[in-house]
Amino acid sequence: MTNTSPVPTATARPAQEPVRPGLSIIMLDKKRRVRRRISKTLSWTVLVVLLLVTLFPFYWMLRTSFSTNGDLAANSGSLLPAHFSVNGWKRVLGLSTAKEALADGGSGASLDFRLYLRNSLVVATLTTVVQTSFSALAAYAFARLRWPGRDAIFFLFLTALMVPPIFTMLPNFILIRDLGLLNSYLGIVLPNLLMAPFSVFFLRQFFLGIPRELEEASRLDGAGYIRTFFSVILPISNAPITTLAILTYITSWNDYFWPLLVGKSESVRVLTVALGVFRSQTPQGSPDWAGLMAATLISALPIFILFAAMGRRVINSIGFSGLK
Amino acid sequence: MNGKHRSRVAATALASSVALLLAGCSGGSSSSDKSNATVNLNYWLWDSAQQPGYEECAGAFTKENPKIAVKTTQYGWNDYWTTLTTGLISGEGPDVFVGHLSHYPELASKGQILPIDDVVDSKQADLSIYRKGLADLWVAQDGHRYGLPKDYDTVAVFANQKMLDDGGITKAQLDAMAWNPTDGGSYEAVIAHLSIDAKGVRGDQAGFDKNNVATYGLGLNASGGAFGQTEWSEYAFSNGWTHSDKNPWGSSWKFDDPKFIETIAWFQSLAAKGYMPTLQVAASGIGQVDAYGAGKYAMVTEGSWNTKGYFALKGVKTAIAPVPKGPNGQHASMFNGLADNIAANTKHPAEAKKLIAFLASKKCQDITASKGIAFPAIEASADVSKKAFASEGIDTAAFLVPISEGSTYLAPVADHWSELQAIMTPAMDAIMSLSASPDSLKAVNQQVNALFKK
Amino acid sequence: MRKVKMAQPAPAAALRRTGRFSIARSRETRVALLFVAPAAIGFLTFTLVPAIRGFYYSFTDYNMFQPAQGVGLANYRKLVADPIFWNSLRVTLEYVVINIGIQTVVALGIAMLMHRLTKSMLVRGIILAPYLVANVIVALVWFWILDYQIGIGNQMLAALGIHRLAFFGDGALAIPTIALINVWRYMGYTALLLFAGLQMIPKDVYEAAALDGASEWKTFWRVTMPLLRPVLSLVLIVSIVGSFQTFDTVAVTTKGGPVNATRVIYFYIYDLAFNRYQFGYAATISVALFVILAGVTVIQLRMTRANQSDLS
Repeated sequence: MTNTSPVPTATARPAQEPVRPGLSIIMLDKKRRVRRRISKTLSWTVLVVLLLVTLFPFYWMLRTSFSTNGDLAANSGSLLPAHFSVNGWKRVLGLSTAKEALADGGSGASLDFRLYLRNSLVVATLTTVVQTSFSALAAYAFARLRWPGRDAIFFLFLTALMVPPIFTMLPNFILIRDLGLLNSYLGIVLPNLLMAPFSVFFLRQFFLGIPRELEEASRLDGAGYIRTFFSVILPISNAPITTLAILTYITSWNDYFWPLLVGKSESVRVLTVALGVFRSQTPQGSPDWAGLMAATLISALPIFILFAAMGRRVINSIGFSGLK
Repeated sequence: MNGKHRSRVAATALASSVALLLAGCSGGSSSSDKSNATVNLNYWLWDSAQQPGYEECAGAFTKENPKIAVKTTQYGWNDYWTTLTTGLISGEGPDVFVGHLSHYPELASKGQILPIDDVVDSKQADLSIYRKGLADLWVAQDGHRYGLPKDYDTVAVFANQKMLDDGGITKAQLDAMAWNPTDGGSYEAVIAHLSIDAKGVRGDQAGFDKNNVATYGLGLNASGGAFGQTEWSEYAFSNGWTHSDKNPWGSSWKFDDPKFIETIAWFQSLAAKGYMPTLQVAASGIGQVDAYGAGKYAMVTEGSWNTKGYFALKGVKTAIAPVPKGPNGQHASMFNGLADNIAANTKHPAEAKKLIAFLASKKCQDITASKGIAFPAIEASADVSKKAFASEGIDTAAFLVPISEGSTYLAPVADHWSELQAIMTPAMDAIMSLSASPDSLKAVNQQVNALFKK
Repeated sequence: MRKVKMAQPAPAAALRRTGRFSIARSRETRVALLFVAPAAIGFLTFTLVPAIRGFYYSFTDYNMFQPAQGVGLANYRKLVADPIFWNSLRVTLEYVVINIGIQTVVALGIAMLMHRLTKSMLVRGIILAPYLVANVIVALVWFWILDYQIGIGNQMLAALGIHRLAFFGDGALAIPTIALINVWRYMGYTALLLFAGLQMIPKDVYEAAALDGASEWKTFWRVTMPLLRPVLSLVLIVSIVGSFQTFDTVAVTTKGGPVNATRVIYFYIYDLAFNRYQFGYAATISVALFVILAGVTVIQLRMTRANQSDLS
């Protein structure tokens, strides 16, 4: 991607000057350069501050994950781990015996980490692929096709955003149970599989922004609506679709309450549910901080890798120069 | 690009449909093929520290009843009740689960748990082996019994040994603390002495800056709401007060009683003087245990169930003392306990009742007591428990003082408990934030009593 | 730049040429219905039907365990007279205004900075990182950091000579604190959405503005913002709706306290349904919340004319 703000070059400058008569060329040039430098420094400072604020809690999580639970309170002011230990990580990865775990203030429950990771991967991938595909289709229909009742139905879809999850949770749970899909992957993904109001909304707004000339050109060539969608619209929507896919993946990965309800058995238990064992076990008691922080970092890692791999697609430029 | 994209989309669609088909078939079957005659019972609990003990119990139970298998599942406290509710509604819940006094009345009145009178009648359980009063807590207003006592807890004072030594407070002094609502007695004197401000001035010295306290003599967890189990119930009881006219199942509440108001007024004064944090300070953080561990609190009043948590704190040596003696001469403490309940929609009521009887028997309670987490409800198992705690260096004598004295007060059990809490908690919050006067309790009590008028 | 409403003429003109207008239209409709079908099925089964059921429950005394008994409008009358409901509405509104106000500005700023300053994937990854952490954990971590007595945050303040702040315990600070925590969590996510929107703006537009001699600030307001409108409107609507439904942070940290200062509406609903078994009344409040959100969304859609895009 190239920087889209106007950058003065040796050739561009003379073209701009005639527009502002009465100002000395040299003075204007210097003033603009200084202003640009200040603005750039300011921008960088702001960005760095934001990055620090963003990162600090992660550093704190890292530091806590390498601490011993009992020493945390006493060393609360220290930026270094309190009595360095890798026991938290051992507990999360299931490498610690129940006795060791309990002695350290953790839970004695066993964790089969790879199994939960696999389950999370299956659920998130399934949800993302299917949901994004169907949402894209629907979004295009709302954005560019004309059909009776389109806007009213779109608003109806939008209202799905506003339905409080508590309404849908119980009836969906009973439906899944009646379908016999409890404790199966399908049961976990089904409510969100076919669409999410956000995905439809998001892609619709993007499709709205695509210049009509592209589709018209394609249709003038004789392509049908379906062909136009797949050969013209989809390729140039790479960035928003990838963005949406990443965000859907993350949301699905972090989903907690629904998989807790529907996916209790070990074979389909996802990471977030499995990591619930690190939260507080007693009323007014403390969580297993080291284990909890280690667990959080581990479960964020696969997504980070995913983002690193797919991120390039997000920043690819659209390049409308093809029109000219 | 066009063709590639189209085939890519098609491939994805195909892959998804295959995945869908597979997912539907695989992913673990929920209803295992019911093998011949073995009955599988599901048992839920929230305390992971107690899970090993109960799994051992379950193993012992299956040895005695080979046709009944017990699967123990643990859900953290934060998720326990919502998961249980959904389980009860859907039929995918437990057969037997650990219950709680504040939840079982409502579950019973809605027909969600099974009465177990027949367990007692058929002599599968003997009520006389439990500590006095505990068994009564689990009989609902309809006169039916819903649980058998498993364990009990009382309240005591935990103190930071080093701060005691620095302040020159001896164990004898600690054990002999007494309080009264007028001037706080020797209890307040100790608290004041242990409070230290940022400049090192103690609470009972001139120039103590109550706005800049480094260490509070007494810690605070929350305002206590209507319960006040670890916060203020011990003071109120020893001032001659009880929550309601009768317990269990009181319907006329006494939060407007002058004895209660003067107790709360004294409690509030501790915060006003800087010896105890205000609610803003106390609630603006992780919790009492960690604040104590960081040296911000010299003493705290805590329930016995959290003992292990305090002793696990490194760098702090803790001494346990009984609650202070009150105006009526008692070391009063709230007396609470857990029991197991049976879900009404269980498919195996007879087996579930057998399990409950076993969990409440001496055999099982000896096993759980030996793990040193909670105190067993059965008197005869007390020694096992004492030894288990002692082996970790914890002297639990202070918790037993109210029991040996006979000054225990049963935890309040009543209808509309959650509504009651919803009224009392904001009121008590306001008082402990120093933004309302204890006299406001008079009006609040009327609201509470109105709940029971209908 | 001329604002063009949803263009009707172009396709119709092309089709009129062929003279098969009505058949083509119905073909368009058929394709549209085909495209919308899977999403519609999902919507119907898993959202619409449960929502209607929930609406039905608002007229009953349903407690989830026993069969529901109709009570007519009693719940609604109770709602109007319920001071805690009105308090929770006010609390939620305060939260939404602070949260969305700050979050949108910060996210826009970040998106612009990412757009102009650096192509680094690392920076983008870091900015998005807070969104990768589960909601509940974020709340717990900040609860520790901002603890009045032992949190690093307050210790830094004390070191700077500023008086410690009871972030969660002080009635006036609690909601802003929770709002800011959620800004921290969502600013990267929101920025990423806005950034994707910025990507869609063609370069030639900027070049034209530069040729006209527009300053950066003017470029931003006159060129970037209007073209960003569909995406910005999406972000605002979704953020506001989500913000009204905030729950996890409150449930972990303040649990509605102190003195109901953080009892946001969704927490109240949840508490009523699962702790007090009053699902019928909780459903009533949910319906009220839904109506409010629908109203807010309609107003927003109108105001931002999100159905149109300046590029077409």
